[in-house]
Amino acid sequence: MTTPPQPSSNLSAYLSHELRNALACIHQFGNILLEGLAGELTGEQREYVGIMLQNSSKIRSVLDGALDGVPGRPEKSTNKIERISKLET
Amino acid sequence: MANKKILIVDDDRDLQRGMHLRLKANQYDVCLAGNAFSGFCEAQRSEPDLILLDLGLPAGGGFLVMERLKTIPALAAIPVIVVSARDSQGNQKRAFDTGAKAFLQKPVDDEQLLAVIRQALGEPAGKKESTLYGQEAV
Repeated sequence: MTTPPQPSSNLSAYLSHELRNALACIHQFGNILLEGLAGELTGEQREYVGIMLQNSSKIRSVLDGALDGVPGRPEKSTNKIERISKLET
Repeated sequence: MANKKILIVDDDRDLQRGMHLRLKANQYDVCLAGNAFSGFCEAQRSEPDLILLDLGLPAGGGFLVMERLKTIPALAAIPVIVVSARDSQGNQKRAFDTGAKAFLQKPVDDEQLLAVIRQALGEPAGKKESTLYGQEAV
């Protein structure tokens, strides 16, 4: 984790960066468990990991919404894939 | 046919490990680097088919890696997909201007990441995924 910014610097950018990295890890390993890439889970274990992933998605939505609300930011596309991925051909 | 090789350049060891698992399960060979300098060196050493590149890296940053890659003819054509936790505003345009094929903001959906990788490598969609212990996932 990087050093926290001074009050005068961009706190929201720092928070966004750190939270997104942590969320990416939760999301990634949750899916790895859920898909059985590290061994098969029981039904109950799958349910619990599913709950964990649903809640990480909620945090992600909150984070995206909070950033969308920052004054001066352009309105984001509602198309999820278009918004985060623009592969040039 | 030999597996395609993907270089992951990210200073977050946990993310590196997660992406490694995911890519290995999709029949890609993976090599790793944890900072900009080692990322460039590893690209020269292993000449990967594709690079997944973080932007906020120690020892130079992801943009520097892309700029350095462009100076080596053997590496200049390697497709680079930026995977960053940074705000896409500004960084996305700069990434495309510097030669990135795609910009993905963390956390990235696995299927989206794999779809972008396949597209960048010119592979057909829907490649089979297998578990790490050799069985194919349903």
